[in-house]
Amino acid sequence: MDEIKEVSLEMKDYIVSSGAETLSWCMQCGLCTNLCPWRLVPGEISEAFNIRKMQRLGQLGLEGFEDENVLFACATCGMCLVNCPRKVEIIDNVRSMRNTTVAAGFLPANLRPIAGSLHANGNPWSGAHEKRAEWQEGLNIPAFSDDTEYLLYVCCTSCFDTRSQKIAKSIVNLLQKAGVSFGVLTAEENCCGETIRKLGDEELFQKLAESNIKLFNGKGVKKIITTSPHCLYAFKKDYPELGGNYEVVHYAELLGDLLKQGKISFSTELAKKVTFHDPCYLGRHNQVYDPQRELLKAVPGVEFVELGRNKEKSLCCAGGGGRVWAEAPMGERFGELRITDAVDKQADILVTACPYCIAMLDDACAGLEKGDVLKVMEMSELLNASL
Amino acid sequence: MAKGIWVVVEQRDLQIRKVSLELLSQGRKIADETGESLVAVILGQGIEGLAQTVSANGADKVILVEDEKLAEYTTGAYTSVLNKLIRKEEPQVVLTGNTAVGKDLFPRLAQRLGVGLASDCTGIEVDSSSFMVFKRPIYAGKAFEFVSSTVRPILATIRPNTFALGTPDAGRTAEVVKETADIDAGDLRAILKEVAIAASKRPELTEANIIVSGGRGMKGPENYVILEALADVIGAAVGASRAAVDAGWKEQKFQVGQTGKTVSPTLYIACGISGAIQHLAGMGSSKFIVAINKDPEANIFNVADYGIVGDLFDVVPILTEEFKKIVG
Amino acid sequence: MNIVVLIKQTFDTEAKIVLDANGKIDANGVNLIINPYDEYAIEEGIRLKEKLGGEVTVVTLGGARAQEAVRTALAMGVDKGVVVSDPAIDTSDDWANVEIIAKAVAQIPFDIILSGRIAIDDGASQTAVRLAEALSVPSVSSVIKLEATGDQLVATREIDGGTELIEVALPAVITAQKGLNEPRYPSVAGIMKAKKKPLKTLTLADLGLSAGDLAPKMVVTKMTLPDPRKAGIRIPGEAADAAKELAKLLHEEAKVL
Ligand SMILES: Cc1cc2nc3c(=O)[nH]c(=O)nc-3n(C[C@H](O)[C@H](O)[C@H](O)COP(=O)(O)OP(=O)(O)OC[C@H]3O[C@@H](n4cnc5c(N)ncnc54)[C@H](O)[C@@H]3O)c2cc1C
Ligand code: SF4
Ligand code: SF4
Repeated sequence: MDEIKEVSLEMKDYIVSSGAETLSWCMQCGLCTNLCPWRLVPGEISEAFNIRKMQRLGQLGLEGFEDENVLFACATCGMCLVNCPRKVEIIDNVRSMRNTTVAAGFLPANLRPIAGSLHANGNPWSGAHEKRAEWQEGLNIPAFSDDTEYLLYVCCTSCFDTRSQKIAKSIVNLLQKAGVSFGVLTAEENCCGETIRKLGDEELFQKLAESNIKLFNGKGVKKIITTSPHCLYAFKKDYPELGGNYEVVHYAELLGDLLKQGKISFSTELAKKVTFHDPCYLGRHNQVYDPQRELLKAVPGVEFVELGRNKEKSLCCAGGGGRVWAEAPMGERFGELRITDAVDKQADILVTACPYCIAMLDDACAGLEKGDVLKVMEMSELLNASL
Repeated sequence: MAKGIWVVVEQRDLQIRKVSLELLSQGRKIADETGESLVAVILGQGIEGLAQTVSANGADKVILVEDEKLAEYTTGAYTSVLNKLIRKEEPQVVLTGNTAVGKDLFPRLAQRLGVGLASDCTGIEVDSSSFMVFKRPIYAGKAFEFVSSTVRPILATIRPNTFALGTPDAGRTAEVVKETADIDAGDLRAILKEVAIAASKRPELTEANIIVSGGRGMKGPENYVILEALADVIGAAVGASRAAVDAGWKEQKFQVGQTGKTVSPTLYIACGISGAIQHLAGMGSSKFIVAINKDPEANIFNVADYGIVGDLFDVVPILTEEFKKIVG
Repeated sequence: MNIVVLIKQTFDTEAKIVLDANGKIDANGVNLIINPYDEYAIEEGIRLKEKLGGEVTVVTLGGARAQEAVRTALAMGVDKGVVVSDPAIDTSDDWANVEIIAKAVAQIPFDIILSGRIAIDDGASQTAVRLAEALSVPSVSSVIKLEATGDQLVATREIDGGTELIEVALPAVITAQKGLNEPRYPSVAGIMKAKKKPLKTLTLADLGLSAGDLAPKMVVTKMTLPDPRKAGIRIPGEAADAAKELAKLLHEEAKVL
């Protein structure tokens, strides 16, 4: 560095006041950087992004973290949190540092249509709001009411992406077969806001969250089943701050309990070698590891193998933190490593339980042309096929 | 009393632009309906021969303004000449195409005349009180406004392809009037140094009116020539899905979609593209979507206005030939 | 070099367009952005200043929310902002807007005025060129490359199917086309500095104008929304027949060729 940079304590205060309360706890040991999946891939982003350094710049009030490849690289996978000796809330720091520029109107260009669509349509996929519940056509799902126990909240991705709609339909069928009392409010819901909050657009997050909380509270919702671990995170960890308190489960947790209670069982044999990719937001962020495995092992014929990196050490698909809408060149996509992990285990099917993971892994599998040896499936789809 | 419907005819290298002929054809209809005369105004050098073409296309009268300073379009010189002509002759309406020239010339002319301007119109309705009401798309076509002028003359630029070409009648003759160019010195401050016409420069993706896009179904980089041939016939840009970019067949700058370019052309032709949500996010707001895909279940058909289930390698070359017949 | 950049706050490109009870576009709850083409103008203004020195002032017409757009420009590196806000602007036409802007700009010394080539909301593409006329200076539209010296500009502008190279003496008006530059993201320091930069708000009265001076030349008689998309059709038949039919439909039904 040959130029002298301006140190601005004011900037540091601004970052901290945006929510980076633990920024100053960081002692710069660098463990986080070492664990970060960006170390596993080459390329420009990997070279630019160093989470320890990014936080250092924030601590000192130094410019230089605003570059898109730095500020928007983190996939919020939570790997770094596991070993931080100072228990720094690294992801909160990332989100807050993003907020400093996003709140001023500067979202990276590729994310502007996402925010725009969230504002206009209540979902990030440019889908018309009135089409949110279209995937339910032909299914017989009651509206949530006093007579239903759970609200089934379906992730925007599974409402609008035809590929992902299969997940929602499978979950509905599984829950119905298991006799779960649930209803939907899909047509009136908005995006949970988890990801846009991680991207630093706090204002937009609050707008979305408040509309959902108003809807849920108005309808007397107490218990929610989510199809995506990201919605699970938002409802469990973000909504209470805004007065939304619910008992929230991911569908895998609920099905796991129902399996134990004997309320659901699988009969169609599936003689395949199956492995599981732990979604960061189900695993590390919500500590759900066992139900998925028990469910998969309950399918007759399934030979279950663990991936090398599993559970707490699972490798991110790169879909979190807004990266599901970000470009990384071939060879720099974490999903490719994940596909290779599964192929190395000679698995026939790579199962996961998150619509973002499905998008990223499907894409990586097609990109690596591994479709003939490995199939990527959402857990609900596999379980549904074996009912 | 203001009278006459004027069409400012755009010519480049003594070739009359198609939109000018479209306007003459529509102008003829309006003139007949309203009992006005249709006047074609041509500026340039060596333009005398064009008088016959415009009269065959419907003009009752042709005003020619010849000058070497008008050989190439410049904002100032053209404004200077038209301003004086219009003040002298007082037409009701002055129309031209919403082209690079129209977009640059008419706002300036309108301001000098102290009148309004309906720009980029896609429809004209004859109206008893305001004479003409113009329909124009706003918010990138997500809405339309209808505008009329409270003063005369009424100025409007009309989007190309809004009106059909008429059949020229070589037997028609028109009164031809020659006017001299009186250009104010103050209007010659911007100097045109050079005009570079690119032989077949394809438009930039995000600015293109028509986009022809190829995906994994293209099978290899060498096959893009058939899409390029199609594109060049209709002045389209060529795009790609991310799968085609990942495969190294096209550069990233041609990628359409959520992490590529967001486009909303009038026409998007998707060839061998399955229609993944990330692709749709980048082109779903196109006005018309055509899908050519051999898989009848492909998601792209859910958003397509026109779909052909078939092999693109069979369909695209024939389509190119058909397009040639249409655009001439 | 004194640089003025005209910007406009527009609806987000993703915004849903709905009409209110009066048949007017409903702006309620719509996310607003800087007109994307104006971002190129802002960027070019800042680059010119970085190269030649001077000061960049953004000028906008708009309501209370227009200040956000100006703050954004200030964060990018613009020095000063002027917002003309007045209820009369809600119904003014392009001609009247230019009367207002011309008065506002007359109070600022300028060598170059930059603006986007089109605003994505009304799509009119008139303001900047009209302003040039109102100020009696030359203009170059749709510029994709600009070189400036102290008293002259060399601009490459896009025309249908090619480009033109135009030389013009200052002062002049330039409208920016995509490709002119890549607008920057500001640093956090820039964002913080922007909070302290001068932002002036003017009313029509401050400019010596009254609503009566601005009787519109053009009036909007009605607004409509497009017909809902028709269900898509699959064209049957062998490749050759289908292709023929498709070409015909595009030409005669869709009218896009
Ligand atoms: C983070 C992220 C961002 C992404 N961003 C984008 C993006 O910006 N843009 C984008 O496009 N994608 C993007 N994708 C990828 C997207 O998910 C899809 O993988 C991609 O769009 C598929 O491209 P495709 O349709 O060309 O290929 P495929 O899905 O493989 O489809 C090929 C199609 O071609 C058809 N076909 C094959 N041969 C023929 C023939 N001879 N004639 C006719 N049809 C034929 C097939 O039937 C098939 O439907 C992104 C993915 C991720 C994870
Ligand atoms: S691991 Fe924790 S303390 Fe160490 S550098 Fe990272 S954030 Fe700072
Ligand atoms: S959350 Fe994951 S991607 Fe982000 S810095 Fe930590 S390890 Fe890296």
